[in-house]
Amino acid sequence: MGTIRFREVGKTYPGKEPVVALDRVNLEIGEGEFVALLGPSGCGKSTLLNLVAGFEDMTSGTLSFNGGAVSSPGPERAVVFQEAALLPWLTVAQNIAFGPSVQRKARAEYEPKIRELLRLVGLERFADALPSQLSGGMRQRVGIARALVMDPKALLMDEPFGALDAQTRMSMHQLLLDVWQSLGTTVLFVTHDIDEAILLADRICIMSARPGRITHEIAVELRRPRSVDQLTDPAFIRHKAEIMAEMRAAQKEHA
Amino acid sequence: MNDAPARTMAAAPRPAPAKVMGRSAGFAAGRSRAALRAVLLPIVIIAAWQLAGRNGSLAGGVLPTPDRVWDAWVMWAFGPKGMGLNPYSGTWLDNVLFSAGRVAQGFLLAMVAGIPAGIMIGWSRAVSGAVDPTIQLLRPIPITAWLPFSIAVFGIQDMGAVFLIALGGFYPIVVNATHGARDVDRNWIRAARMMGASRFDVLRRVVLPAALPAIFTGLRIGLGIAWTAVIVSEMVAVKSGLGYVLWDAYYVGRMDVVIADMLSIGAMGLLSDRLIVTVEHWVLRWRRLQTATR
Ligand SMILES: Nc1ncnc2c1ncn2[C@@H]1O[C@H](COP(=O)(O)OP(=O)(O)OP(=O)(O)O)[C@@H](O)[C@H]1O
Ligand SMILES: [Mg+2]
Repeated sequence: MGTIRFREVGKTYPGKEPVVALDRVNLEIGEGEFVALLGPSGCGKSTLLNLVAGFEDMTSGTLSFNGGAVSSPGPERAVVFQEAALLPWLTVAQNIAFGPSVQRKARAEYEPKIRELLRLVGLERFADALPSQLSGGMRQRVGIARALVMDPKALLMDEPFGALDAQTRMSMHQLLLDVWQSLGTTVLFVTHDIDEAILLADRICIMSARPGRITHEIAVELRRPRSVDQLTDPAFIRHKAEIMAEMRAAQKEHA
Repeated sequence: MNDAPARTMAAAPRPAPAKVMGRSAGFAAGRSRAALRAVLLPIVIIAAWQLAGRNGSLAGGVLPTPDRVWDAWVMWAFGPKGMGLNPYSGTWLDNVLFSAGRVAQGFLLAMVAGIPAGIMIGWSRAVSGAVDPTIQLLRPIPITAWLPFSIAVFGIQDMGAVFLIALGGFYPIVVNATHGARDVDRNWIRAARMMGASRFDVLRRVVLPAALPAIFTGLRIGLGIAWTAVIVSEMVAVKSGLGYVLWDAYYVGRMDVVIADMLSIGAMGLLSDRLIVTVEHWVLRWRRLQTATR
């Protein structure tokens, strides 16, 4: 239902000096799996996610979603953007309703769902507020609700909590864990925060830059259901040490 | 290429945060003080003008003093119609309505053509490539240069004036709408597409609202040009309206009517601009909140 498969995928941005953003990427993400993409700035994480989202076309290789080719963006692959990217002239409720409404769904069908999602992300009192009246964390929660209202088969998240302070991040992590554990949607989560990747993901793909490639995959052995308390778990510390060594080695290779 | 007017104007109409937040007694006092400060300069000018005159005129009898202008305006506005001695008597409202009607028609045409055209040019590279060069080529031709063309095609009729107004208003509207549509945040469009919006949905529900602030800037500039166009064409090509009276009164040496006419044009321009600003404030409510919270 929500499987993603990259086969020898390459992406070069054209221009005077073409940028090879991705080079022969192979990746398989199973139904309901939570995969984190971890890597330094500019290694092609966003590019990879944008290919799945259908925002960009690849240059070579094949990419399939649920066995079919990806040709354009669609509600079965919901994206949560770094800066939320809410429409500033619409209220919180209208932003969440945008998807169902352009899909010509009946209002009676999606209105109760929006109320339920507002409660889930703790924003019932802000249904009629404008995005500019919300904090960064609240805006991001609207972004998540806007994605979930479409019942997506996969959630694509590009550093969704990158701009938030530590405390807000932690509550967002808990929220995402709770949501994912109850819905079981496939998640592709881009980050350059090691802790975040370990805490959330089943599997971590480490990328290196120039050319952008997946160099290592690590299966996270932390018990589910997870919570932010596991940040001090011995297994967590072990994973962190492993990943840091991996990334340091990758960096030396390039220096 | 033409961003300069769009950018500088776009920044101007944002209200100060204080306006949105507090409505205290101090605020009201500050407001009346501001009103007082605004009328001070006109009072000084009118007083100096009155005092400089002798026997109701100045500059060697060419310019009438304010009291004469006032008298002429009262006669023009409220005098009985059809008096042989004063052909202007009682015709003010008619002429104002003639001019305003032409501006309304021409400006409506400019909006109906300019907003969709600008959005399409800003949105689609193909449309931009096909249409924009022609617009940029025609745009430097001043509307006054179109007068002979307009008279030749439409004759001494309303249509000629409406054509000039529509043309003059079209350019700033189309240019600003183009900029508005071109500068839309890429992630807004991506988000909409991801949520299942068709290309038309994106145009109507993302690009158009995102371009509205720029469009309103264009409307305000366009309206100013529309008033210029109506006066010019009435002076030359139509036999009614404020522009016609202006030139006619000059011809028969009625400078008091000329000045009353000029002030009437100014008042109408101001009034119609306020009208757009009011609509703008209402349509762009979300933006006011945004500036207030930042
Ligand atoms: N539209 C584009 N045109 C040209 N080059 C691009 C474009 N988008 C990205 N790139 C280049 O491709 C490479 C990968 O970019 P990408 O945004 O995927 O990196 P990233 O891993 O997401 O980085 P960050 O962590 O900073 O977000 C970079 O070198 C970048 O400069
Ligand atoms: Mg990125």
